[in-house]
Amino acid sequence: MGDPLDDDGWAVRDVSAADCPALVRGADVLGSGGGGDARPAGLLFAHAVGRGSVQLLDPDRAADHAVSFVGMVGAASAFTEELPGGGEFARALGAVERWTGERASALASIEAAGLNGVTALATAVSCGLPVVDVDLCGRALPRLEQFSLAVVDGGLPPVALALPGGQVLVVEGGDGPRCERVVRAALAAEGGWAAIATAPVRRGGWPLVGPVRTTRRCLQLGAALERLEPTAGGDEVAAALGGRVLGAGRVVEVARRAGAGFGRGSACVRDRRTSALLRLEMENEYLVAFDDGAPVATTPDLLVVLERRTARVVACDRLRRGDDVVVLQLPAAAFWARGEHGASVAPRSFGLDVDPVLMPQPAGAVW
Amino acid sequence: MSARAPEGAGLTTVLALPQWRGAVVLAGEPEGVEVARVVLLEASERLLDGGAQEALVVLPGLGWRSAPAWQLDALLRRAADAGARAVLVAGTGPLPDPTRLLCTRLDLCVLGSGAALLDLAAAAAVHLAAPEVTAARAVLGVARAVADGRVSGPVPLVELCSQLLGAPVAVADASGSVLHGDRSLSVPRPAEAVPQRERTPSPDGVPSTTAARPVLLPGVRSVQRWLVARVPGAPAPLLGTAEDVLAAASTALAGWLAADRTAVERDARGRAALLADVLRLTGEPSPELRQRAAAAGWPLSGWHVGVRVRTGSATDVAGLRHEVVRRCDEVGLQLVVVEHGDGWSGWWSTERSPSAVEVRQLAVRFRRLHDALRRLTGCATGVGRPHHGPAGVAQTLSESADAALLAAGRADQERFLHVDQLGVAQTLLAWTRTETFEPAARSLLEPLLADASLVRTLGAYLDSESSLAETAAVLGVHRNTVAQRVARIERLLGVSLSDHEQRLALQLACRAVQLGR
Repeated sequence: MGDPLDDDGWAVRDVSAADCPALVRGADVLGSGGGGDARPAGLLFAHAVGRGSVQLLDPDRAADHAVSFVGMVGAASAFTEELPGGGEFARALGAVERWTGERASALASIEAAGLNGVTALATAVSCGLPVVDVDLCGRALPRLEQFSLAVVDGGLPPVALALPGGQVLVVEGGDGPRCERVVRAALAAEGGWAAIATAPVRRGGWPLVGPVRTTRRCLQLGAALERLEPTAGGDEVAAALGGRVLGAGRVVEVARRAGAGFGRGSACVRDRRTSALLRLEMENEYLVAFDDGAPVATTPDLLVVLERRTARVVACDRLRRGDDVVVLQLPAAAFWARGEHGASVAPRSFGLDVDPVLMPQPAGAVW
Repeated sequence: MSARAPEGAGLTTVLALPQWRGAVVLAGEPEGVEVARVVLLEASERLLDGGAQEALVVLPGLGWRSAPAWQLDALLRRAADAGARAVLVAGTGPLPDPTRLLCTRLDLCVLGSGAALLDLAAAAAVHLAAPEVTAARAVLGVARAVADGRVSGPVPLVELCSQLLGAPVAVADASGSVLHGDRSLSVPRPAEAVPQRERTPSPDGVPSTTAARPVLLPGVRSVQRWLVARVPGAPAPLLGTAEDVLAAASTALAGWLAADRTAVERDARGRAALLADVLRLTGEPSPELRQRAAAAGWPLSGWHVGVRVRTGSATDVAGLRHEVVRRCDEVGLQLVVVEHGDGWSGWWSTERSPSAVEVRQLAVRFRRLHDALRRLTGCATGVGRPHHGPAGVAQTLSESADAALLAAGRADQERFLHVDQLGVAQTLLAWTRTETFEPAARSLLEPLLADASLVRTLGAYLDSESSLAETAAVLGVHRNTVAQRVARIERLLGVSLSDHEQRLALQLACRAVQLGR
C-alpha cells in the first residue's frame, strides 16, 4: 500500500461543487444497487457549498479528531418525496452533542455510498467542520447493526435522530439489533426517514473502526466513469472501475416479493454473448449473483448494474424487465474483505445460504 | 443405488409408467434423455458426493415451490454438475421462465407431479432396475384374473387390460369394427392376420400408437377377433407392454371363442344330420323325423323354395352361419339355414302355393341375399322352384344345387342363377361338372392323359360327328394323323368308337376333363 501522506493532494482534499458529478456517480456505484439516489443529496451539497469547499481529511491524518458519523436513515424514496429542510442533519448533531456534552471536531458519513455518500459533506458545510474519510459501511448496508462500529463494539454509541417533521430522538444503550428495531419503529411511525448523528467518537486507528477512504474511492470511481467515452463497452467500464463483468444483456425477469423485513427480489439477466442466465438476488442492494445457478459473486463485494448505453447505475428498485444492462462485480472494502468482520455482511447475514464469493483485493488499494 | 439399467432406461419410458400418469414436463425435453438411477434428495449435500451420474433426482416435499427461485436454480445447477439428467419436483405448476431457461442451458429435464413423489420414485427405480417388470406385472395381472375366473368374458377382459395399461382397449370383429370397449379404436389393416402397430393420433389429437393383435383359433385360418389398444406417444414407450398384455389377453379370448366354437359346431353337426334325413325323404316323414324337424323349427309341410350357396372350401361355414342368418333377416327372408358341404343350404316356406308374383319377389330377395353374402365371402348361389310337401324340400334343394353348380361358371351373371333360367340340356350337362363326375371322367380317359393331344383329338373327333377330315381341319393336322391317333385311342382305351353308347360316355368325359383344366 502506498503511503497516503505522500499522495498527491489526498491528505487534505478540498471537495467543492466541481466534484459533485463524480461524487454522485461514484456514490451510486458504491451503493451496489441501494443506498438511495445520490443526486438529490448532490444538489443539496452543491447548493450549500456554493463557491467554497469542504476539507476531506485522510483518516491517518485525523487520529486526534472527535468524529460524529452523520447521514440519513430510512427509505431513500421517502427522502426524495419529503425533501429535507436543510437543518435536520445539524439538528441531529446538535442533539447528540447536547446529550453527551461533547463537541464533534469533525464529521464522517455513516455510509459513504448512495445518497449518504454526500450528506456528510453537505452537513459539514453548514457546521463548518472537516470530514474524515472513514465510514461505517464502505458500501450501502441496510441495517444499523451492520455498521462497523456496532460490529466492532457490539453496540452503537448514542445516536440522535432528527425527523423531517421536526422531532428529535436520542437512542442510547442496547446492542445493534435493538437500536435498529427502535430506529425502524420510529421511522415507520413518522416520516419514513431521519437524519442521524452518532455521538463523537475518538479512536487511535480509524482502519480498525470501519472502512476507510470510501469517499476517495467514490470520487475516483465517479471520475473514471466521467472520463469514459460514451461508446465504452462493458469490459472497458469494468476495467475503469477495477471490477469484472459478470454478464451483459437484457433483463428477462424481475420478481419482487414482500417479506417480514425489507422487500426481497430477484432479477435475471440473459447474457447476450453466452446466453448464460445471471440471477441477481436483491434486498435493498444486489446481494448475490448466480451464473446459471452457481453463485459467482456475493456481498460484501459490490454488484453494480449499469445501463449499457449510458453506464448509469440502475438501482434495485429501478430495474425493469427489458433493461439492457451490464452487471459488474467490484471488490469490497478491505475492512470487510480482509477483516474478521466479514460474517456480518456476508450472504448468510441476509438469509441467503451461500458462501461468500469475493474478488481478490487489488494490489495497492488504499480502501 | 440401483445398477445401470440394461435397456429401456429412457426418461420417456419412465414417464409412461402408470404411476407417472399425471406427471408433467416443467422444463427441458424428456425425449432422448437416458437415466440410470433414482436419487432421492433429502439434503442437497448428497449431490456433492457425485452420486448423481445419469440420475433422476427426486426432490420430495413442497418446500421448493415456496422457496426463493435462486434456491431451486442453485440446486438444479448442482444437480447438473453432479451429472443428473432429470429432476422431479412436487406440483405441476409452471416454473419461472428463467428457471426453465436455465434447465435448457443445463440440459436438465424437470418434471412435476401432484401425486406422492415417493411412489413415483419407487416406480421409476423398479423400472430402471428391470424395465421388464412393469410389462411382466401387467401380463401377470391378466393371467391371474383369467385363471381365478375374476374375468370371464370379453367385456371385463377389455376393462382389465384398459386399467392395467391406462389406455383404451377394445375387442373388434374380423372386419375391424369394435364389439366391446373403446369405439374410437380401429384395426389398422384388418385384412392382414398379423400383429400390427400404427401411429395414430388419439381423438383429442395426442400422438399415439395403436397396437392390434389378431385372435386366431387352431385349425381355423381366418381371424376370429382383434384386440386393439392405443397407447400415448409416437413412438410409444408403453407399446411393448401393451403388446405383451394383448398377447396374454388374446390367449384368454381364444379359449372362450374355442368353447363357443365347439357349441356352434355341435349344433352344425346336428343340423347337417337332420338335413341329410330330410333330403332322403321320398314320401311322408316318420313321426320321429317330424318331431326332430319341429324341434329345430324347420317347416316341412306347405310349399318350399330352396337356395344353395356354395363358397370355397377355405370358408369357415359353421363360424359364419350366424352372419348368413343376420343377412337373411336384413333382406327380409325367413329362411332355414343349414351348413351343408362347402356352403349353406336353406329354404323358404309358405302354407299355400306361391303366386308367380310372389316367386318373382322372392327371387329379387334371394338376389339381394346373394349380393350381401358375396361381400362376406366369394360365393355362387342357386335358387330352386317351389315344391310342395316334405319331399318338396329335397326337390327344390336339388334344383338349387344344380343352379348353384352352374352359377359358379357364370361370372357374367355374377354367379347367381335361378333354376328357371336353365334349359334341361344345361341341367344335364351341369351334372358332368359335379365333383363325383369329374374323377370318373378322368379315370375313364386315364390312358390318354399322358399325351394331351390325344384328349384334344378325341374331343374334336366326337364333336365333328366322327369326321376325320373335319377333325384334321379343326386341329390343323393331316387327316392321316387324325386316323392314326383315333386308332391309337381305340387301342389304348380298348373300346370301339363306332359304339354309340361308348361315344356318348367319352364325349361327356372329354367335356368334363377339358373344362376341369
